[in-house]
Amino acid sequence: MQIERDTRGAELAPHQYEDSEGYIAPLPAGHGPRSNPLGAFPTGPEVGERLPNVVAVSSEGSTVDLHADRDGKPVVLVFTRSAVW
Amino acid sequence: MAGFEAAGAKLYILSYDEADALADYKKAHGATFTMLSDPDSEVIQSFGILNTTIAEDDHPWYGIPYPGVYVTDSEGIITQKFFENNFTVRPGAEQLIAAVKGDEFTLEARPATGEQVNVKIEFDGTDLPVGITRQIVAHFSVPEGMHLYKEPVPEGLVAASIELDHEVEGILPYTMIVPETRPLTLGTDGHTLEVYEGNVTLRLPIAQNGRAITKDDDGRWVSISGTVRWQACDAESCLLPEEESFNFRVPAAFTVMADMGPGEGRVPSMNGATHFKKMTARRKSES
Repeated sequence: MQIERDTRGAELAPHQYEDSEGYIAPLPAGHGPRSNPLGAFPTGPEVGERLPNVVAVSSEGSTVDLHADRDGKPVVLVFTRSAVW
Repeated sequence: MAGFEAAGAKLYILSYDEADALADYKKAHGATFTMLSDPDSEVIQSFGILNTTIAEDDHPWYGIPYPGVYVTDSEGIITQKFFENNFTVRPGAEQLIAAVKGDEFTLEARPATGEQVNVKIEFDGTDLPVGITRQIVAHFSVPEGMHLYKEPVPEGLVAASIELDHEVEGILPYTMIVPETRPLTLGTDGHTLEVYEGNVTLRLPIAQNGRAITKDDDGRWVSISGTVRWQACDAESCLLPEEESFNFRVPAAFTVMADMGPGEGRVPSMNGATHFKKMTARRKSES
């Protein structure tokens, strides 16, 4: 699936760029962290499917297997762009 | 965070940042959720949500996902997911906690067939920050033997909907969260439509882009107004379409941003700029 990037927007002032929904940020729409998809884009496994296995290193440096770690509890799993920028 | 624990759920945040960057974030925010590091975007790719509009040599942006949230039940089965085209918009905690709990709302006993639908409209939240969703929630109690229609419907029928007033600038609607439906084939023309029955809850996520804010001596506010519409039918006939308007005035909260520079609402001391440089350097040396 070829995904197109949404570059719609306008420059309001230096370092103030508006996107198609009127949100303002220092980079123009369609650049770097504002690489929003235009139209349909993949959103991974569907409702009704089992959450795939997630094995990753935690902020404390230990390996976490999400399905073992959740210990029979419901999960909210957030995929975010970055905790740094 | 307390809300997630009270709902009995575990919260995980996954990103392509290095583990030590996440440790600094946790310390700066006093965060108690689990933060997972996926520096080579392996988990992101296994979910199929790598942002492929970014070229592999576009450092350091390459490797980010299309951001979103999955909510599971205690068996690990996905019950809801939240993805929007605009990355500025993120689902608020109330919305995620509501997804964990499910809608247990019950109005008083359902009305008898042929009676009016009972409706209650709420704003789920205490404020509306820029770019973080809260929800307009419409609870319907549909009479026994009757149903409401899900969009789309043919002309002459009115689907159950929550719509914002068009003249309100700066309040934006996102993907409506709706309950399961049942297919119903109309005797008249053989059309099959999706219908809601019983206690029905529609949730419309909304966010604001900063332009809806008004100021007075008491602070900064946004007003959210719109209309809930529906029409109840049984197998034979329909009641007249109905509507109820809503208007909520709530505080406009700041959105907390990472500390990539000075500015209002930014969080100090999580070493954002340092980690950003480190990430860029590592990626350049590997490629």
